Amino acid sequence: MAEKKDSYAQAMEKLENIVSAIEKDELDIDQLSEKLKEAQKLISFCKDKLYKADEEIRKIIEGAGN
Amino acid sequence: MEKEALSLLELNSLVRQVLNKSLPDAYWIQAELSDVRSNTTGHCYLEFVQKDARGNNLIAKARGTIWANVFRMLKPYFEESTGQVFVSGIKVMVQVTVEFHELYGYSLTVIDIDPSYTLGDMARKRREILKQLEEEGVLTLNKELEMPELVQKVAVISSASAAGYGDFCRQLEENPYGFIFYPHLFPALMQGSQVEESVIAALNAIYDRRDHFDAVVIIRGGGATSDLSGFDTYLLAANCAQFPLPIITGIGHERDDTVIDSVAHTRVKTPTAAAQFLINHMQETAENLEELAHTLVSSVSGRMEKENLRLSDLTARLPLVIKNRTMRENYLLEQLSQRINVGIARTITDKKHRLLLLEQRINDASPERLLKRGYSLTFKDGKTVTDSAQLTPGDIITTRFAKGEVKSEVK
Repeated sequence: MAEKKDSYAQAMEKLENIVSAIEKDELDIDQLSEKLKEAQKLISFCKDKLYKADEEIRKIIEGAGN
Repeated sequence: MEKEALSLLELNSLVRQVLNKSLPDAYWIQAELSDVRSNTTGHCYLEFVQKDARGNNLIAKARGTIWANVFRMLKPYFEESTGQVFVSGIKVMVQVTVEFHELYGYSLTVIDIDPSYTLGDMARKRREILKQLEEEGVLTLNKELEMPELVQKVAVISSASAAGYGDFCRQLEENPYGFIFYPHLFPALMQGSQVEESVIAALNAIYDRRDHFDAVVIIRGGGATSDLSGFDTYLLAANCAQFPLPIITGIGHERDDTVIDSVAHTRVKTPTAAAQFLINHMQETAENLEELAHTLVSSVSGRMEKENLRLSDLTARLPLVIKNRTMRENYLLEQLSQRINVGIARTITDKKHRLLLLEQRINDASPERLLKRGYSLTFKDGKTVTDSAQLTPGDIITTRFAKGEVKSEVK
């Protein structure tokens, strides 16, 4: 559960690391497109968290409340 | 002689007259309320008490009355100003007239109240609680918690029926950005004497499931009467201060902070403001994400541009670099070949010289030279003789001179 709770923060951290690696020229051009793909996946993961209701979470929160 | 005696009524009338005469004014007094009752007629009956300095024993007591026409105004005025219900146990400053009734005796009639005195007393109590929490080192613990970037799973402590809870949920649900929230209610009594116990029980229930939530919101609809005294207790404040999730309070009042407002991570005024706080927080989170996504795109294109520049720079520099390199190699080559020529010439001279010296030495050592100087060589049977013991008389020996040779016989 704790892992699930942190997943947004973890995704953001990964994303920040990628951006900073690109900014600092730490990535080879060969790695760039791969990392870009990874970053875009992370972004849409984060956006889903913000904007898409997750029934799983809803169930967990409601279910154990009884 | 018959003794003159007053009837009780006459005596009490005298007392009444004396009191009226000598205490004609209204007086402000400070006292604690006790045994407060109001009946259907709207009048309020109570007792004023004063305790000793340690608060254990009563040292003064008087009955009091607040007539309905006064009480109707005084009670809401007091409660709205202080956030404190007009009940037994609180300290008040009231303006009273002193009454004496032949049948009912001594009592005080309340005509006015000064809520600021009670506020001051409540503030002092709150300060004492905060000071105690500070001494225990827990006062700012909840404030020191980091509000997670994503606050969606919200444990709400409220009374289920309160309008405030409905407002809160509606506000979250109808946020204009389409953010998703997962509020979950932990019902509690939000007014009356059971606030402390009930809210602590709700906090304990959340604590047991703390991994499921990002933050706690304590809200309370702004009802007609505000009884906030339940939120000013040490035990509740200590629980809130040490709670492992950040707490947001929206208890719905205008006056000074309650103690739990003071220890909570974030304090807002109303349930809707609490919802707005969460929405704003989420908006910041969304903006951070957008910014990061934007930075990602620009840093990638920046990087590509940089690589392009590097490439064209290299392309431009290449011919010059090659030319320079060729020139350098040529120079080195030339130098080398020069060094080789010089080296060869020197070697040849050396060899010639050594040859000459050798020739000289060879010439010097040749037998012809010795013969010419008068030495001679002696042979026997074609071999040189260097020791006379090699010869016996009768041997024929040959002697060679620089010019010609002779044969002789040994004697």
